[in-house]
Amino acid sequence: MYDHFETPEPDEAVKLALRRIEESTARGEGSDVDGLEFNEVVVNMGPQHPSTHGVLRLVVTLDGELVKDVIPVIGYLHRCKEKLAERRTYFQYIPIVDRTEYLASINCEWAYVMTVEKLAGIQVTRRAEFIRVITGELMRIASHLVAVGTFTADLSPLGTAMVFYMFRDREVILDLMEELTGARMMFNYYRFGGVRYDLPDGWVERCRDFLKMFPRKIKEYEALVDDNAVFLQRTQGTGVITQQDVVDYGITGPNARASGIDLDLRRHRPYSVYPELDFEVITAQHGDIFDRYRCRMDEMRESLKIVEQCLDMLPKGPAQLGSLRAPYVITPPPGSCYVGQENPRGEYGTYIESDGSRYPSRLKYRDPCFCNLQLFPKLLSGNKIADAVAISGSIDLVLGGIDR
Amino acid sequence: MDIDAIAALLLERFAGELTDVRIQEPDTIVAGCARERLEDVAARLKADSEVGYETLNWIAGVDHRTSFEAVYHVYSWKTNTWIELHVKVPKADPEVATVTGVWPAADWHEREAWDMVGIRFTGHPDLRRILLKDDFVGHPLRKDYVDLAENHPHV
Amino acid sequence: MDIVLGILRAILFVVIAYAVVFVAALVNIYFERRAMAFIGDRLGPNRTGPQGVLQSIADAFKMMGKEDFRPLLADPVLFTLAPVTVMIGAVAIQLVLPYTQGLLATDLNIGVIFLVAITSFTTLAILMGGWASRNKYSLVGALRAAAQMISYEIPMLLALLIVAMIVGSLRVSAVVAFQAGYEWIGFYAPFTFLMFYIASIAELNRGPFDLPESESELVAGYATEYSGMRFGMFYLNEYAGLTIMSMVTVTLFFGGWMGPWSGALTWWGIDWIGILWFLLKTYVLVFMLVWIRFSIPRLQVDQLMGFAWKILIPLGLVNILATAAIILWVPEWKWGLAIFGWVSFFAFVGLFDPLLKRRLRKQRERQPVVSA
Repeated sequence: MYDHFETPEPDEAVKLALRRIEESTARGEGSDVDGLEFNEVVVNMGPQHPSTHGVLRLVVTLDGELVKDVIPVIGYLHRCKEKLAERRTYFQYIPIVDRTEYLASINCEWAYVMTVEKLAGIQVTRRAEFIRVITGELMRIASHLVAVGTFTADLSPLGTAMVFYMFRDREVILDLMEELTGARMMFNYYRFGGVRYDLPDGWVERCRDFLKMFPRKIKEYEALVDDNAVFLQRTQGTGVITQQDVVDYGITGPNARASGIDLDLRRHRPYSVYPELDFEVITAQHGDIFDRYRCRMDEMRESLKIVEQCLDMLPKGPAQLGSLRAPYVITPPPGSCYVGQENPRGEYGTYIESDGSRYPSRLKYRDPCFCNLQLFPKLLSGNKIADAVAISGSIDLVLGGIDR
Repeated sequence: MDIDAIAALLLERFAGELTDVRIQEPDTIVAGCARERLEDVAARLKADSEVGYETLNWIAGVDHRTSFEAVYHVYSWKTNTWIELHVKVPKADPEVATVTGVWPAADWHEREAWDMVGIRFTGHPDLRRILLKDDFVGHPLRKDYVDLAENHPHV
Repeated sequence: MDIVLGILRAILFVVIAYAVVFVAALVNIYFERRAMAFIGDRLGPNRTGPQGVLQSIADAFKMMGKEDFRPLLADPVLFTLAPVTVMIGAVAIQLVLPYTQGLLATDLNIGVIFLVAITSFTTLAILMGGWASRNKYSLVGALRAAAQMISYEIPMLLALLIVAMIVGSLRVSAVVAFQAGYEWIGFYAPFTFLMFYIASIAELNRGPFDLPESESELVAGYATEYSGMRFGMFYLNEYAGLTIMSMVTVTLFFGGWMGPWSGALTWWGIDWIGILWFLLKTYVLVFMLVWIRFSIPRLQVDQLMGFAWKILIPLGLVNILATAAIILWVPEWKWGLAIFGWVSFFAFVGLFDPLLKRRLRKQRERQPVVSA
């Protein structure tokens, strides 16, 4: 009967997990039950699972219900973007940058475009800077909506309703962006020296309508979730990221700010017109799941403030440098440059080395989720497995950026 | 401390070890470092009381056709500035000491540099491929990489 | 002649019981998907058949058409028996449930106890399914589901004891007869109803107590190794249970089949208006069950068990003592019960959340602020 079975050869990650179990057993931390060598089991939360984070594989070592160790295995969405950069002109590469952190793709474009502009010394028109801030902050709201919605979906069936409420509001933002750029998700909108299209007629009014409507919605979502004793019990106190972790692992974004660290690249390394805008950097004290959720909700409010200020301050002028089209082929002088930008998930940046030709010589992404994911083994160990799902939802991972 | 003062400080403290120190506006210092001195320089950069570079932002492996290079981008909380260390690695012997002892974040970044460019980081706790499959042959981000059929047998 | 009539009557009731279970399951699946969609600002199934009413039947056909296999190492007898056993609870409960005047299969003299006892069959079936799967995680999931179900049977039983005390008898027909003239037990003992309702949600593995089901998101649930119609049995039983438990609740607490114009249409000794009232009241409770499922996040396993053992059972015991004291010593005991019932109901509903929040706030203040 047993000959019908062929256990597949475990791959490197599973072998590593098994090796670690053997090592801990050899150290004497084996099982406390008679007849068992060790308590732990290695379970694969495979690249496909009903949790919402993309094709992430977690090889989890479980002791009953406690997670002993987690080995994340990534690369299922690897599309060799860094290699593609070596064969595309800088202009041809813009749509490809979109597809890294696809939930906040305009921010990804922004980082890339800023880096090339700095490398090549291209100035951006003032109107375009404001449009960039408006679109960037709108997509920050959209991205946080997805993050919070899917996070509540991880916790309960309540979340399945929440996801749809939040997606309904995200639809309004995406409609605005579609009107502006022609696309709902992969915008291909920023150009070196400006943006591709200027604001259409009536767009500002429609944007202001959204700004009037949205604060009420945020209050609605908070009322549904914040006041819920079960939710509070599950999220307060679990998944704490200490400040030492933030410094050691390079955690940025709301994950770091929820631990009380005041790091926001819009303040600390200001780019575009952020120095002229008035907004607060949201921090929280406890660094647990609840605080990360609260940081994201409050950041949505701050983004609304920023968009409103920009709409008020919007100057007249060209939306693009140059007459009608952006330069197709630019050849930056040889050199290298890195610009980091405040993506909804943290610091997202591109490091570009140019050798004077039309193609980049090396393009490297600094992805926030890649750095955040490194913290997983430390963060998830010692928690129950249901908490592990909640924690991984609160870190807000987008596999597109991790795998590139 | 403004960026010029920091550059002067670094030149003073790491004379001879940090080469080609220059400032990239507005807040990054770019410097080269010899690969033999990397571990020591890294530890001292982190422990420095005035400009402690405590958080590693990213590590990139680069292929410059004649040699490899490892680029380390580190942030200093005290001064709110960055430093970019360029470490040249010869192609014949592409090895560099790991800095995971100094900056724990280096773990996955070095694995990616190994995976993509083939720079081996000696002393790394677990140097495996991270983005590509485990039995992938070759290092894609090298300039002389040729697509091998054995890497995608079904296509 | 009597024997033949008796056998025919028995067959009729068996057919009715199975029909109720299957039809109720299919209706509930459709109803829940529609209600879930409504709550989530969506539409739900509206293509298959007019307004999507044939969706459940389409799902049933799909499940029947799936390959029916059994893992090689699974226990052959138990693996086949578990899906069969799971339906027994839902069907056998209807033995003592009066759908209406004249439609009561058996008037057992221990009917009320029988109701709780029979629900244990579902627990048994889940354990059988988890064990037979020869899968470590199915077993753990099954054990956890079983622990939850037996923990919550105790508050159910305590609530039923109170009903029996008030009515003075364990016969279900006596319970319904007591509630004639709108003297519903739900009005005399609302807190008991609340306790019973919460316990029944946990019995059904439903709503905020569905951790055994959600485990299948992460690790195997007890029904992982089942597919096709075997899984369909577990699935249908869960949805049929919604209706069956609501029927039990309605019978015990809300007057069963009684309502306005009750005696109007009586043919062959069966009160047909009563059936309508029974179904209406049942489906009000089913809607509330669906509503609750999508309003509250899932409880963790320690919160679940803590709630049963540390809150519901002590309160249930206090309730029994108080009810017994009132019935024995208060001359107008119905009034006394009503006052005590409503006061305790509002006290529980009003105080539980603030007290819990206060404890959480204190915990939060004691929680250390992250420091470097």
